[in-house]
Amino acid sequence: MQRWTSQVMAVPPPTTWQRADLEFEGVEHDGASFVLHVFLNNAEADEITPRTAEQRYAGYLTVFAHGDCWGDVGHCDIPEPVSPFDQRPPHPLIPFNATLEISDSLRALPEGTSEITVTVLAFNKNGDEDSVLRFKNLTLLTYA
Amino acid sequence: MTITAQPAPNAAPARLNIRKNIEALSAQELTDFRRAIQQAMALNDKRGFEYFAGWHGVPLGWCQHHDPLFLPWHRAYLYWLELALQSEVPGVTLPWWDWSTTGAIPSAYASAQAGGTENVLAKAPIKVFNTAPKPGWPTETSRAPGEIPQTPAPPYRQEWANAMKATNYMEFSQLIWTVHDTLHVWVGGTMGQVDWAAYDPIFFAHHANVDRAWRIWQAAHPGANPPANILGQSLQTDPAMQVRATLDVHQLGYEYAGTQSTVPGSA
Repeated sequence: MQRWTSQVMAVPPPTTWQRADLEFEGVEHDGASFVLHVFLNNAEADEITPRTAEQRYAGYLTVFAHGDCWGDVGHCDIPEPVSPFDQRPPHPLIPFNATLEISDSLRALPEGTSEITVTVLAFNKNGDEDSVLRFKNLTLLTYA
Repeated sequence: MTITAQPAPNAAPARLNIRKNIEALSAQELTDFRRAIQQAMALNDKRGFEYFAGWHGVPLGWCQHHDPLFLPWHRAYLYWLELALQSEVPGVTLPWWDWSTTGAIPSAYASAQAGGTENVLAKAPIKVFNTAPKPGWPTETSRAPGEIPQTPAPPYRQEWANAMKATNYMEFSQLIWTVHDTLHVWVGGTMGQVDWAAYDPIFFAHHANVDRAWRIWQAAHPGANPPANILGQSLQTDPAMQVRATLDVHQLGYEYAGTQSTVPGSA
């Protein structure tokens, strides 16, 4: 299991938004498939932590990933277009954005909560402790 | 929601093929479907099951995931495979596995034996079309439910319900591909790897359910199409199909069986 905890993120007052999403930007999916469990303001969460509102559990995401590369050398490298006229489809392993709606979980935090950290527990079948989840940025998006 | 199999007003006057829940197939329908898969597996050319399986991962890798083409590409994929199966056994359709209400792999896909022989829906050979195998390639499909710790197991009622509440295509697409990913990962084995998943016949029952979800959502959200800028995009299938050609299942000649409720009349 890999545990990752974010830096502190500001939370706007609940009266200013209707919906809140966590967006994992640039998730890489070229390795083994994996599952993520997300907690808010619970950096101590681990695999036996109950996934409940009391533990500030926010939900899960699962990524059906490519697995080992079975091509020749370079097969799974993401190429740049070779010319402005390159109309080949995008490489299937381009990182993507994964969104988890956390409106209810965010609203359930104690009144006056103005910032959060996000803790992610990431599991794959290999039991890896790092590099299970690789992504570029985490964004808290709220919608009025 | 009930979807009745009525052709669109401007559709050709042909009977639609009806895809059914795997649990609702008659014994004969299941036998026919199994025979179609078995016969297609015996073909080592572009009519064969292994050729179609290879579209998704090894060796061709044409599938689309985690993007707006996910639903159209897989709808086209199922359409072409279903035609190939109907060439083997006329009238067969792809059944769906409703993992939104059932929590286990359906017995039609789980029983080791069927009709006194090995059940081809439970375990299938992997013979990559027109490609010499490499060391380490699996030679048959496998499943390992729960092999990834902490993976939620079906049924995925809430996830399905959340997807159905989406009000635009992009949101629906993302919610349904997420639960789709979860099912793949939960089944595990070769189903948990993009490269090998489609060699397992259960892949197509899973995706028929994903496609059914889209169909149900479409019926509730008329005109809620993929973004206009991708409608003319060609999907990488053989032959290719534009995204806009995938939007109307009646134009593709099929529908999903709905529910039926009958009450006595007055006589």
